[in-house]
Amino acid sequence: MWEIAVELTIDQRWDLVDRIAKETIEVGAYEPTLRDTLADVTVKPLTGIPFAIAVIYGFWMFFSGFAGFFTDGFFVKIFDVHFLPWIQSVFPGKGTWLYFIFVGDPSAETCFESFGVLTSGLFLPIGVVLPAIVAFYLVFAFLEDVGYLPRLAVLVDGVLHKIGLHGYAIIPTILSLGCNVPGVTACRPLESRKQRFMMITLLGVFIPCAAQIGMMEGLIPHLIGWVFLTLAIGYFAVGFILNKVWPGESPEILMDVPPYQKPTWRNIGRKMGTRTSHFLMEAVPFFLLGCLIVAVMYLTGAMDWLGNALAPALTGVFGVPEETVAPLVAGFLRKDLAIGLLGGIELTTWQMFTSVVLLCIYFPCLATFALMLKEEKWKEFLATMLVLVVTVFVFGGLLNLIGIGLGIA
Amino acid sequence: MGNRSTFGSVYFAIFGFMVLALGIVELVVVSTGGMEGASWGPLEMGGMLLWWRAIILVFAGLIYLSSVNNFLDVRQLGKSVIASIMIWIVAGMEIWARIAGSIPGGPEEGTPWFNPEFLATYGPPYMPEIYLLPLSLVILYFVGRRKKQGRLS
Amino acid sequence: MGQANVGKSAFFNRLTGAKVAESNYPGTTVDFTKGHMLFQGEYVDLIDVPGTFSLQPKDKAEEVAVKMLGEEKEALVICIIDASKVERGLYLALEIIEKGYPVIIALNMWDMAKSVNVKVDTEKLEQILGVPVVPTVATRGEGFKELVSRMGQAAPVTIEEIIRSVGNSSRTHH
Ligand SMILES: Nc1nc2c(ncn2[C@@H]2O[C@H](COP(=O)(O)OP(=O)(O)OP(=O)(O)O)[C@@H](O)[C@H]2O)c(=O)[nH]1
Ligand SMILES: [Mg+2]
Repeated sequence: MWEIAVELTIDQRWDLVDRIAKETIEVGAYEPTLRDTLADVTVKPLTGIPFAIAVIYGFWMFFSGFAGFFTDGFFVKIFDVHFLPWIQSVFPGKGTWLYFIFVGDPSAETCFESFGVLTSGLFLPIGVVLPAIVAFYLVFAFLEDVGYLPRLAVLVDGVLHKIGLHGYAIIPTILSLGCNVPGVTACRPLESRKQRFMMITLLGVFIPCAAQIGMMEGLIPHLIGWVFLTLAIGYFAVGFILNKVWPGESPEILMDVPPYQKPTWRNIGRKMGTRTSHFLMEAVPFFLLGCLIVAVMYLTGAMDWLGNALAPALTGVFGVPEETVAPLVAGFLRKDLAIGLLGGIELTTWQMFTSVVLLCIYFPCLATFALMLKEEKWKEFLATMLVLVVTVFVFGGLLNLIGIGLGIA
Repeated sequence: MGNRSTFGSVYFAIFGFMVLALGIVELVVVSTGGMEGASWGPLEMGGMLLWWRAIILVFAGLIYLSSVNNFLDVRQLGKSVIASIMIWIVAGMEIWARIAGSIPGGPEEGTPWFNPEFLATYGPPYMPEIYLLPLSLVILYFVGRRKKQGRLS
Repeated sequence: MGQANVGKSAFFNRLTGAKVAESNYPGTTVDFTKGHMLFQGEYVDLIDVPGTFSLQPKDKAEEVAVKMLGEEKEALVICIIDASKVERGLYLALEIIEKGYPVIIALNMWDMAKSVNVKVDTEKLEQILGVPVVPTVATRGEGFKELVSRMGQAAPVTIEEIIRSVGNSSRTHH
């Protein structure tokens, strides 16, 4: 690639580095500070794991408190009590297809149920998902800046080794909890093809993004712990199997753990800004488009046809009613929208739980799907899709069986 | 000057026991009374994530207790600092949840946008972590004293 | 160019006003970003790349960085080194110098190095390497004026010259 006059061997170069360093660097006496010991006690398992539990607890409480404040405290009221009745009465042509597309069900009492482009299509992204995204990235940017994430990686190293991954894998995983797209790109620093393939597959299949989590928090706050538990079991089970069957090696990565630092508010603010504006510009149009497609499919009868066609699988294997086909369709565009649309369907608690889990895994959203195509080789990509399909059926079937077994399906 | 502080050791030994004891009580409550919780006068235990809080308190108590020997040594001080941070996280989030819950007026039509009686929601009963919060702030005194002695944080 | 987590993105944001993500863990940046900065009265391109240990990439992120260097043959390279871990950064810097690129070295995280009591003799380092060496603190913008004003002095040097000047300044050993 380059034309070089002289080239040193690796050893010669290190030797030269050593000689230069000897001449110019002076390492003075240094006594560990409180900051260093904090760095130390937060990675030692005995003290670090309890601390990590507290951090995750704090993360969750902040997230749900923040999202609850905006969504339940204000946005639900703004949209359901003021905006929905208003637009239902002023939008012209009740009963026409135009009304159905933009306002949706004229008798709906909440924006979860109405399904219209201007009702559900605006309420879901702005009223439910936006607060969740802001809350998530606020805490996340803070943890990133302080330097806590690599310590979490060291702590989970042992567990992740059991499925052939390195502790570093926790960073793409947590990033994916914000949005799968940066999560998948963050797999690049993984050294082997096998690890990258495994990570991308696990992220795409099992990790819900902040938007989805926010939607679940709005719709089924009491079930969310079970959804997480189910997904985590899937993550480890599939990871374990993939590690056994997929050829390749999982080399060690040496990861530097940087020292803690004071968070820089300018940096956190900047990240918040880019993420929020990114969401408003890129996601809101997809919500509108998703609602539009669902409404048009209902109007043309395509949705009923698809529902009938998929009914054997939906009711037979998964035990959910065929109306869930609408969220499934919307889920190709955005999964959070899909979960939101479940709010308008009559489901038992168990069916709701199964549907949410299935929606989380059955397809990575369009953006993630496109990115996977780019990041993976064809063979790997097809394998990822195969894992996905198998997982959906095994998981969905198992959940249905469990539900029947417990008598709560 | 040595790394001994009788005051620090004694204080955090007692405090550590208190934290541990309350954590164990929470564990008992959560495993017997379930999520409904319990309350005694101004003290309450309950809520969705009581399991987590109980575990965090038990560990925080144990970490405090392991730090009292040779308390002022950086390694030991570091432990009691993270135990304190654990308590701050739990208590801080409880305060945050109360504030966030107190401001909106309510979801129904006709209720005001902001809750006019929001101050009333700040009254007792409180969960144990709220009582532990001020007592744990003593750690700041020791951290501050280290800094003043000319060592970098 | 530089190792992971030395502050390359912080540098890039400072110099170009861009909003690339900076975080306190290695592997934040996994793709390159182009931006413009004002240099000697005109706008020039500046590229932020992922961190890399050496010019032999070990993963896909490092590949991006090394490939970018190979494509930009005319580039002036700002080599960013963590002032508290100079040796590692120096290795990469030497590799880049060997390829014949004009290089300017920024000893970033100067504040951190100071707090762990590591002292680097920048003048001597500059003498030995024959390229400008500037201490900086990217988060606060310290040293950036000097860095930009000295970018013009970056010129290719050969490795023999460096070997010779280490020899000169260290007659006592070897
Ligand atoms: N104390 C101190 N911190 C710095 C300095 N420069 C950058 N940082 C911090 O170091 C961390 C890493 O900075 P980045 O700019 O993300 O590093 P990078 O080299 O782009 O890292 P990768 O993209 O992972 O290769 C951030 O948290 C910055 O705030 C500095 O001069 N002093
Ligand atoms: Mg970077």
